[in-house]
Amino acid sequence: METLLAITSIMFFPAGLSLIFSGMLYEWADRKLVARFQNRVGPRWFQPLADTIKLLAKEEIQPLGVNQALFFGLPVVALSGALTAALYVPIFGIQPAYSFPGDLIVTLYLLSLLTMCMGLAGWNSASRFSIVGATRTLTQLFAYEAPFLLALLGPAMAADSWQIGKIVAYTESHWMIVLQPVGFVIALIGLMGKLELPPFDAPEAETEIVAGALTEYSGRGLALFHIGRSVEMVIGVSLVTAFYLGGLGNPLIFLAKSLGLLLVMAFLQSVLVRLRIDQTVGMWWRAGAILALLQILALIVLK
Amino acid sequence: MITTPNFINKVVTGITTWARVNSPWIIHFNSGSCNGCDIEILATLTPYYDIERFGIKLKGSPRHADILVCTGPVTRQARERLLRVYEQMPEPKFVVAVGSCGISGGTFAGCYNVVGHIDEVLPVDAYIPGCPPRPEAIIDGVVKLLNHLKEGTRPQPIRPEIGDHA
Ligand code: SF4
Repeated sequence: METLLAITSIMFFPAGLSLIFSGMLYEWADRKLVARFQNRVGPRWFQPLADTIKLLAKEEIQPLGVNQALFFGLPVVALSGALTAALYVPIFGIQPAYSFPGDLIVTLYLLSLLTMCMGLAGWNSASRFSIVGATRTLTQLFAYEAPFLLALLGPAMAADSWQIGKIVAYTESHWMIVLQPVGFVIALIGLMGKLELPPFDAPEAETEIVAGALTEYSGRGLALFHIGRSVEMVIGVSLVTAFYLGGLGNPLIFLAKSLGLLLVMAFLQSVLVRLRIDQTVGMWWRAGAILALLQILALIVLK
Repeated sequence: MITTPNFINKVVTGITTWARVNSPWIIHFNSGSCNGCDIEILATLTPYYDIERFGIKLKGSPRHADILVCTGPVTRQARERLLRVYEQMPEPKFVVAVGSCGISGGTFAGCYNVVGHIDEVLPVDAYIPGCPPRPEAIIDGVVKLLNHLKEGTRPQPIRPEIGDHA
């Protein structure tokens, strides 16, 4: 019975199929909002679904000189990492399926797994563009990861717990965006860095390095990485919403809040231009990390 | 009847064809054009014409692309590169030749450095005439190619009527 339950929650709900489809919906919402900000019509609602099916049905080319097991294994590991992270996160304002003290840290590391896999995939592809892309992906990981973690630690420290369920119960009565505005801004921008959205899309800058770490991927591998990215988007948006925008509450209100967050992200995407990789790293360590540390310091002193 | 392999095959083919028609990702290659056609293609990609409506996206990597949009005659230098880009694309793949030069060699026909038109190097699926064609004509050409894909066969070359896009 236990195993059956675990299999259901990984395959269908809350992880698995439902998450993949909501990932597609979030991706569509993001693309559509950016399109509307640019005053154009934008993609149709089934666009990410069509993209995914098309990629899954395409030929998968294995370049010469790559390690076969890594080449085909990495996309699967990346996607499963993202899906596993969803088990501990209150997606759509529904209580997480599993919970234990310290699951916040586990979730954050599972989320980084996707980026790590992308970096490894780039190294493994043996193409100069993908190697440059991989280097940038990993460099950027070191830039935003620490401030993002610190920004999510703020609510955790305020709630005196490292368990997502308890933190969320605490934030329900305390709007963290009011109490810790700096943390919110850093978490939001850190999320954009995690998802490699503009202005942090230097790792896949198609005008310089073709498609970054995924240059050599075609067909299924590319599709799995794409799905992993949109799943990560759902998880990230849900986490930031639950931590900073007043906890879980009603699923419908939660959805409205996450859509509001997406709107802000789409706005930032369409008004900002791509940063160079050294500017990204400099900004995160000079401004982001220090501000996040100050926030935590203030929290410790005032508490 | 529902479980016969024939039926399943039909459903799967239907779904993949639908996905293919609704999500064509293009890659753009200039094999020796005067740049006029390329400027028009870039204009087509701007928000003003918004080809994301049809699911069309410009991709940098040939490995991600479905449609190779090429312009200009094929020069001796560019021939190898054009072939390489084409061979790097995963199946199923299609080629669209944009501009008079791509169709017949245009003003460059017979030059000492030119191999010929694109048809002599690659199997072209759709031709878009014009010197250079307007963005509307390019969109029209790609959409016509997609309409042919809906029937599930590799399209016969489409040569739009002259005066179609006046
Ligand atoms: S068709 Fe005209 S615009 Fe296009 S490459 Fe040839 S000469 Fe230039």
